[in-house]
Amino acid sequence: MGGAWRQHVSDYDQKSAMLFLAPMLAVLSVVAVFPVVYSFWISLFDLRLTRPRSVPFVWFDNYAHVFADPLFWTSVARTATFTVMAVSAIMVIATLMALLLNEEFRGRRILSAVLLVPWAIPYVADGLMWKWIYDSGYGALNGLLYQLDFIDKYMVWLGDTRKTLPLIANAFVWKEVPLATILLLVTMKSIPADLYGAAKVDGANVWQRFLHVTLPALRPGFMLVMIYETMMAIRHFDLFFILTEGGPANASHVLAWDVYVETFRKLSFGTGAALAYLIALITFLLAFSIIRTMGKKL
Amino acid sequence: MSRIWTHPSSRRGFLRTSAAMGLAGTGLLGLANRAQAADALNYYTWSAAVDTVKAHVAAFEKKYGIPVNYNNAPWAQFRDTMVTKFVGGAPVDVAWVSDSWLPEWADAGWLAPVDGYPEITKYNADVDDFCNQSMKYKGHQYGLTYYSDYMAFFYDEEKLKKAGFTKPPETWEEVVAQSTKMKQAGISEYPLMLSMARETWLIEFLSALVFSHGGRLVDDAGNAVMADPAHGAQAAMQWVVDAVNKHKIVSPACVETGELNGLKAFSSGNHAFALIGRYRIRSLNDPAQSQIAGRVRQALMPAGPKGSHATVGWMRFHGMTAQAAKDKTRGANAAKLIEWFGGKADGKYQFQKMLFLDIGSGFGVKSLFQDPEVRAAYQKYSDIDMAEKQQKFARKKDVVAPWFGEWDEVNGTAWQSAILGKSTVAEALKSSAQSWTKLRKQG
Repeated sequence: MGGAWRQHVSDYDQKSAMLFLAPMLAVLSVVAVFPVVYSFWISLFDLRLTRPRSVPFVWFDNYAHVFADPLFWTSVARTATFTVMAVSAIMVIATLMALLLNEEFRGRRILSAVLLVPWAIPYVADGLMWKWIYDSGYGALNGLLYQLDFIDKYMVWLGDTRKTLPLIANAFVWKEVPLATILLLVTMKSIPADLYGAAKVDGANVWQRFLHVTLPALRPGFMLVMIYETMMAIRHFDLFFILTEGGPANASHVLAWDVYVETFRKLSFGTGAALAYLIALITFLLAFSIIRTMGKKL
Repeated sequence: MSRIWTHPSSRRGFLRTSAAMGLAGTGLLGLANRAQAADALNYYTWSAAVDTVKAHVAAFEKKYGIPVNYNNAPWAQFRDTMVTKFVGGAPVDVAWVSDSWLPEWADAGWLAPVDGYPEITKYNADVDDFCNQSMKYKGHQYGLTYYSDYMAFFYDEEKLKKAGFTKPPETWEEVVAQSTKMKQAGISEYPLMLSMARETWLIEFLSALVFSHGGRLVDDAGNAVMADPAHGAQAAMQWVVDAVNKHKIVSPACVETGELNGLKAFSSGNHAFALIGRYRIRSLNDPAQSQIAGRVRQALMPAGPKGSHATVGWMRFHGMTAQAAKDKTRGANAAKLIEWFGGKADGKYQFQKMLFLDIGSGFGVKSLFQDPEVRAAYQKYSDIDMAEKQQKFARKKDVVAPWFGEWDEVNGTAWQSAILGKSTVAEALKSSAQSWTKLRKQG
């Protein structure tokens, strides 16, 4: 009797749960699942909005076209360079910031609040601000360096192909560091104080405690930050659009910019969708490999 | 399997419609559909002179009793927005069209020729030649101009006097000579301001330089000739490369300087010469907007060794959509609206004159240069005779084709690469020409 009742309640619970979940599943199907599947479907057509009379099904020709384009491979290399530069800088700066904010000192709360400011600024505003800072004619960076006598004439910043990518990465890092710091700080706060106590008893100095207690304990935080920031960097578009539009001379033509050019400038939706799928695949593989590598050691 | 996935036309239709919906959003299309239901003319412009347009629309409605649904979208997104609307079948009867988009929109069947509307074509005799040519594609006329302008050569008179020059340069060689002297005298580090950032304006700057050097990017038959050392763009590109790297009279930052930033730089007094759209002269000589107000003069575009004072002209026009032309009454009403804006309203070129008086924008109507009110207004900030003289040298862009947008990406990069020393002039132009030829073959 009791077993049958429990079974009845369990079935009822499951049905209720499905009923309550159904609206959200329906919404997710429409706004998430359908676009994902449909964009893949589009990537199999030579869909150009400017040639609406001819939309042939081309199987994987769009992917082949992308792979055969040398600009795609240079875009991949540039995206990788940008990602490595940005994510490394974010990891180092965020770790240092988290270590600082983990200490008790006067003004810590104010510093924590100030740290959040870049995070609160939208990317478009962030881009416009950095565009003004980097401008070679009236930019604040030139003004500052000139007044400090570091330069004797105004420098070209974004227009110099050697500096373009690092400068965009700098603007990206400035915006992303706060979130990374918070994530690492939360992980740091969860490290039991006993571990530090025990290490002290064993005679470990500050550096040794950092190396053997803090760093290993931070691994889950590092993994989270690395995955998140890598995904953000690979897919990042806003700063490239506002600061350089992929230029000069393709110096900042990254994968996300390539998707934009194909889709919204050339209005070639088929190739644009294929490129977007490739970015998604690259992002997934990277995240997967990070989890596999770092997750084993957790 | 559902017919929607198997039947080719349904599949195409579904793809097109879905893509359009995804872009435009259901709200916009919904609004547009309601507009059609009211049987009003659906009129789309980009967000320029909105109040002037609204006032002129109101006057049209009053005069003819034809309701007009006026909508606008930002210039930067206008092409995408309109293409999406066309593909999605949203109701559009009359729209502003850039000369750069005409082949693309005409080939796609979105625009209808207006050859059969004499109330529109009767104005051709009073319209500048480059404007008439820019409205034509494959032998048909697709609208009526309401705005046109060209790339102008401006100079700061005070800086020239300071350097001991009594007249502006007439050739590009003189530009180098005068600029070098100014640079040496410390009057300006980079006397010539060129905007070479990769944006929609770039083709206008490049074309002006190429035309004035006596070159072409594409010949009349549509063949890419930019890489031809004798008749192509080589002389112009080499001049720019030398101006940046050899003579150092143009800032290497030109590749990151867009049209607006270039205008700011010139109006802040950093340069002695500038290539800027003609209509900017009003703000350049306005003390509220410019630090060199009252000092900016226009000269004819300097000529290259085998060139002339030719420059590039551009124009925007009112186009009638194919869906409007399909219905006789709707087409006739659309033609009335086009004439009201591009031609005469109550016997006068009202709209073009209003645009000129309000914001200083140019016009392709020759007779307006003799209008006393226009002349008086223009003389307050510049020389209208010089403006008219230069306009006679204006030519339409020779690269306008259905694949222009795709080619423009490659061409812009090629010019920047040459300027930055990443490629030679010959290599850059070769890559531009190859891209043109490839896209042309693809159709």
